[in-house]
Amino acid sequence: MSEPPKDPVKYVDSAVYLPYNYVAGDYKARYLAALKDKRIIGSKCSKTAKVFVPPLVCSPESFAPCDTFVDVADRGVVTTFCIVNIPVIGRDLEIPYVAASVALDGAAISIFALIQECKPADVRMGMRVEAVWKPDGERQGDHEDIQYFRPTGEPDAPQASYINRL
Amino acid sequence: MTALRNIAIVGFAQLPIVARDEHRMATEMLYPAIRRALADCGVERDDIDYQIAGSTDYMDGRPFGFVAALDVMGSWPARQDLHLEMDAAFCAYYAWVRMQAGECDTALVAAHGKLSEGEPNRVLNLQLDPYYHAAIGLDAASTAALQASAYMARTGTTDRRLAEIAARNRTAGARNSDAQVRAPASADELQHTPWLVEPLRSGYVPPVGETATCLILAAEGKAEKFCDRPVWIHGVDHRTEMQTLGARDLSRSASTQLAAQKAFAMADLARAGDVDVVELSAATPAEELILCDALGLDTHADRPVINPSGGPLCGNPIMMTGGIRLGETFRQLAGRAVGREVHGAARGIAHATQGHCLQHNIVWVVGSERRWS
Repeated sequence: MSEPPKDPVKYVDSAVYLPYNYVAGDYKARYLAALKDKRIIGSKCSKTAKVFVPPLVCSPESFAPCDTFVDVADRGVVTTFCIVNIPVIGRDLEIPYVAASVALDGAAISIFALIQECKPADVRMGMRVEAVWKPDGERQGDHEDIQYFRPTGEPDAPQASYINRL
Repeated sequence: MTALRNIAIVGFAQLPIVARDEHRMATEMLYPAIRRALADCGVERDDIDYQIAGSTDYMDGRPFGFVAALDVMGSWPARQDLHLEMDAAFCAYYAWVRMQAGECDTALVAAHGKLSEGEPNRVLNLQLDPYYHAAIGLDAASTAALQASAYMARTGTTDRRLAEIAARNRTAGARNSDAQVRAPASADELQHTPWLVEPLRSGYVPPVGETATCLILAAEGKAEKFCDRPVWIHGVDHRTEMQTLGARDLSRSASTQLAAQKAFAMADLARAGDVDVVELSAATPAEELILCDALGLDTHADRPVINPSGGPLCGNPIMMTGGIRLGETFRQLAGRAVGREVHGAARGIAHATQGHCLQHNIVWVVGSERRWS
């Protein structure tokens, strides 16, 4: 037993196959269906009136139920962002590209989005951006329905307007 | 026995167990369960010191899937929190330990999981040793059948006896509005169901089910404010056995026996037969018989009443099954087991298990009176 075996050891092939069949849940299903109609919906906290996008069943902050759905704008403000210089798995994106947090007008929290149609170096906190949707007839009711966000050309939002939505 | 802190179960909520909830994710099912458990106690989330949740990421199909539950547990302002890849009854034990250490007075014990979204049998196969057990395709039904076969060979237990045990559970489950299988069935009917894995018939094993659960624990001083009939923890212990199935005597549950001995000593309970109600995490009639042997229970006696909820045979949401046993025992002693009351129930035993062939077992003894003065 002092020497390792000289013949090759035959290993056990233990490839794991685990299929899953997820339920979207009514909140997500409603959100995704709205995207098809170029609408973005959130849910409103019954205690603080904060609006969460995508909609949540309860506020993670106040623990109160979010039982009403509200429309938010398809435009907002870049709160924080980064410039990515490494390829992303599963997406065909030209690098460098900008991944940003976008606080939509009317939403209490931000969503993650790509910023395109501008140079990465021009992206800044407070920059106003709008959604670029897939054309009518091509939207499927999924996250890809919003292709990316682009600058609107409006004046930058003052920091105080988004500092609590980072 | 040195006096410990008197700690009670003061609230329990679960959603009815279903084969598949098409409308809610696991966390969306958990939220109402937590709200109901807190509302039962008449308290807000801020009144709870400690939170703990049980689930398994393999069932969720997401690495670190459990962190999603934090958003529906009232985790803000920043809380003390723990997650266990274990059944809720084991989570309750950790909460109890924290409370015994004096680090908190109240705890919320949640459990969640959408078993219908994955394939539990594939997941449970992976729980086995990868070289000799998992590789030949053993799953939970086949290891349970191996165990049933071992028990029947040692004791001479007949197929008819398994059918009778299953029928008793099914009859009880019909009275439990939270049970998944609510159609009563007779021993004759069940004994004519097809073999699933012989000697287990399809009528002797539960279907896949899912729900979400929440227990609330509180120490003396607060427990009385949370609940008019707190159910006090008198004793608890858990023990585990080897993973290698061949190294164990599958016809017995040595770990349940030792855990019970320790829990009974803590509870000053002379014998299991002295309690009024017992809830066992027995997913097959053979498991129920093995557990009764280990606890020293006569399965033919009228008292204690075993699994008045219908037990796991009428609903077996993995990671929650044991917590439900604790919750059901609480309901019986707190007068909340509507439609399935064990009259005059003042002491009870709740059992939970994990792993193949009853590998790891926890035994709780609870009572209507405080254990330590």
